[in-house]
Order: sequence, then C-alpha cells, then structure tokens
Amino acid sequence: MNAAVLRYRVMAYVTGVVLVVLCFVGIPLQVAGHPAVANNVGVVHGILYIIYLVFAWILSRKLGLATKPTVIMLLAGTIPIMTFIVERWVTRRFINPALAAQPSPAQPVRH
Amino acid sequence: MENAAQVGLAPERAAGPVWRFLIQPRWLGWHLLMAVSFWGMLWLGDWQLHRALAGNGLSWAYTFEWPLFAGFAVVFWAKTIKDEFRIRRDGPPGTLAGSSDSDDLPVSVRPVQVSVGTAEDDDDEELSAYNAYLARLNDEVKRHGRWHGLRS
Repeated sequence: MNAAVLRYRVMAYVTGVVLVVLCFVGIPLQVAGHPAVANNVGVVHGILYIIYLVFAWILSRKLGLATKPTVIMLLAGTIPIMTFIVERWVTRRFINPALAAQPSPAQPVRH
Repeated sequence: MENAAQVGLAPERAAGPVWRFLIQPRWLGWHLLMAVSFWGMLWLGDWQLHRALAGNGLSWAYTFEWPLFAGFAVVFWAKTIKDEFRIRRDGPPGTLAGSSDSDDLPVSVRPVQVSVGTAEDDDDEELSAYNAYLARLNDEVKRHGRWHGLRS
C-alpha cells in the first residue's frame, strides 16, 4: 500500500513537472519557431504518462476506488497542473482514510 | 439501543439477473464513452502512422502510444465491469465474512446507525420524529459515498 502510494506520488509529480515544461516552455518556443524543446519533451511526457497510468491504476485498485475518481486520476496526467491538484485531493480524500484504517503496518492490505 | 439497525449495510436484493446493471443509463453512458474513446484513440494512432510514413520521425512514438492507450481503456473497462459483478454477487466486502468492516472506516464514511424505534419510543413524539428524520437522512446518503469514490 505504502509503496503503491509512493510510486503514484513520484510519477504524479514527475509527469506534472514535465507537462508544465512542455506547455509553458515548449509550446511558446514552438510557436516562436524553435520546435526542438516541444518535440523532445513531448515524447518524454508520452512515455512518462504511460508509467503514470499504470501506477495510478494500481493505486486506485488497491484503494478500491469507484470509476469516477479513477478516471479523474488517470486523465489528470494529460492536463497541466492537474496532477498536483488531483494528487492532493486523492491523498486527503482516499489515501489518508485508507492508511488510517490500517491498524498496523504489518497488516495485509484488504481489498 | 439494542435494536439499532445498520440500515447502511442492509443487503440490497436487486430484481432480475445480476447483469441488468449493465443496461442502466449510467452504465450505458460509460459503454458509449469507452467505445468512442477506444475508436478515437485507434484513429489517432492511424493518423500518427500516416504522419510518420510521410516523414515525421517523431510520430513513430505516438503511432505505438495511441493503440497502447486504446488497449488500456479496454482493460480498464473490463476490470471495472468484472469488479462490479463481484460486488453485486457477494455484496460489499466484509459483509460475507461477518466482520464489521465499517468499524475500520473513518467516522466520516461509516454507515450511519439509525434507531428504528421501539414501542416506548413511540410515546415520545419528539423522539420518533427525530428518528424518522435520521432514517430519512440515512436513506438520502446511502448510496452517496459510492459516487464519491468509496465502494461500500
């Protein structure tokens, strides 16, 4: 559980930062006639987003989330700044209650 | 309160076979969304393939990425439906094992315990009115937590 949360968080922040760079640095430069940054960062974000999808999906299944919050989590990786907001929301709303519900770290995760 | 009933945990007996939920309007909406996004992503992959063949080297990455996303959408859809079948057959997790799962939940998401009222409660008009009010509130929020992301 804790490992799944950590993996999700790391990927949420990494994907989020790369997407912000792509949208607020790469795209303006591309418009200005220098497409190199947008091209390279775009491919990097594409690959990172696949990893983000997998980790967010694993976490959502461990938390037993319903369809709507899962879809929000998965799509957050495609909208600038959204990963940060959604990560905070998921933490407050689902991760913290789930961690609080675990009596001790040694307990197996219940699905 | 010996006769406090856990209304929130009462098992729901749906009429008809289990698969019926698949043709509820909300689920039909999900099916439609899945079909549109699946074909949309395949179409985007095809578009990137044509761009790649036209000489845009970068498009090769997206040519493989879009079908991957389309496949992921299908897996997501299938798993969601499978989970839903399991939940509808077995009831929410914990009710079969007989353990009170809700005790582990944070207070804010526990099912509300509602007193159904006894004969002597009925003498007290104010109390029975209050109990009716609690029962109504519990009814209103019963399936609410689920929409907000909790499967119980």
